[in-house]
Amino acid sequence: MLMTRRLFLVCAALLAVSSWAGRPAAAQSADPGATAFIQSLGNEAVATFSNKSLSREQAVQRFRTLLYQGFDVAYIGRWVLGRYWNSATPQQHDEYQKLFERLIVNTYADRFVEYSGETFRISGSRVEGEADTMVSTQIVRPNGPPVNVDWRVRKRDTAYKIIDVVVEGVSMGVTQRQEFASVIGQNGGRVEGLLQALRQKVGSAG
Amino acid sequence: MKLANLSRSLLRSAAVAVVALGMAGCATAPGSNEADATVSDPLEIPNRFVFAVNETADILLIRPAAEVYVGVVPDPMRQAVHNFIQNLLGPLYIANNLLQGNFEGAQIATGRFMTNTILGLGGLADVATEAGIGDRPEDFGQTLGVWGVGPGPYVVLPFLGPSNVRDTLGYGVDTLADPFRIGTNAAGADNAMYGRTAAAGLDRRSQLLREIDDLRKNSLDFYATARSLYAQQRRAAIANDIAPATPEFPDFDEPAKK
Repeated sequence: MLMTRRLFLVCAALLAVSSWAGRPAAAQSADPGATAFIQSLGNEAVATFSNKSLSREQAVQRFRTLLYQGFDVAYIGRWVLGRYWNSATPQQHDEYQKLFERLIVNTYADRFVEYSGETFRISGSRVEGEADTMVSTQIVRPNGPPVNVDWRVRKRDTAYKIIDVVVEGVSMGVTQRQEFASVIGQNGGRVEGLLQALRQKVGSAG
Repeated sequence: MKLANLSRSLLRSAAVAVVALGMAGCATAPGSNEADATVSDPLEIPNRFVFAVNETADILLIRPAAEVYVGVVPDPMRQAVHNFIQNLLGPLYIANNLLQGNFEGAQIATGRFMTNTILGLGGLADVATEAGIGDRPEDFGQTLGVWGVGPGPYVVLPFLGPSNVRDTLGYGVDTLADPFRIGTNAAGADNAMYGRTAAAGLDRRSQLLREIDDLRKNSLDFYATARSLYAQQRRAAIANDIAPATPEFPDFDEPAKK
């Protein structure tokens, strides 16, 4: 799961220190299906992006496919907007979700496309919240120390989807949410301000 | 003479400490459970200013220096510099572990320090990590956190970057208590101290070249991203894996649109 490399880097960026330790697997009855889901998604990601014969465009397309296969993008987008979701119009919701997806793809796709030999192993799982499973993995990089990444997995009907990624204790969802809240705050609490910033960043939603 | 100076400055920092702790204590009590809880940042306007100055300094000076460093100095040598600088901090990690009542941590930090100093040629090689005992920094900001001191308002420090009242204080205490600083100071070798500081800065920055570039490129509000990352990372560092704070992920009433 190459994406995690970038995620880690994001966190590492501001850290003077990092608390590293293998997290012991909880002996609770975490859903083994969630673990299997992460394992197979990770395997698929590694297999896909270690294939260097793909053109950049093809690789980005594969990334998008895997993204939707593994993540509940719409849920994450809504969660990240937080309480501002309710103050936005349905049209704004639509545009926001399109822009949000693009931001995710822009931010992470390159990390997958430039895959350079990272591997991962499942290091445990535990129950999180009411019914979610936190699957812990350790990403082993060719250069640098391994990185602990937790995947918050929710089961809906029969499908598992990731709803948050936590890298060395830092939640990507929370980070994005606090950033968006700040942008909206800077724009007098208007969601339109965020949409404008997103359009500027990723191009208007077509 | 030197000693008198030092004890006076220690006394002064202790006084600052007491005041700051009081502030931090007051500033953190309420509202930590709210779903949208943001990082306390009453100084946002001056903070953004310092952040912008830091950014400029980084883009014009520090980042280019780090690029040259990576380009010119071969990997193994940079790794040795990194190891050496980290090893010098060993005594501080030991002390902070003890202050936190974490005797296992202190034992590990002591083992690492001894191993790397003796077998790792004075700390140039990180033998301990290769043997599976990874580095685990503990600074005085974390110690204060373990003691129950809240982070207090977010602060962006010139050159040093993101911090908060508690961690700034912790940084001051670590700096004062740093045996390397005390040793070089007593020996009148202040240049060694400055050299270490510069090397440490270069080392840290050079390891984050790609990362910070990406953050700058992909953030809508880099200042806010940095603030959030810092706060979360520090919380994790203080908790040492014990029950990380996880926000709520409700099931929304209407299904989110595809």
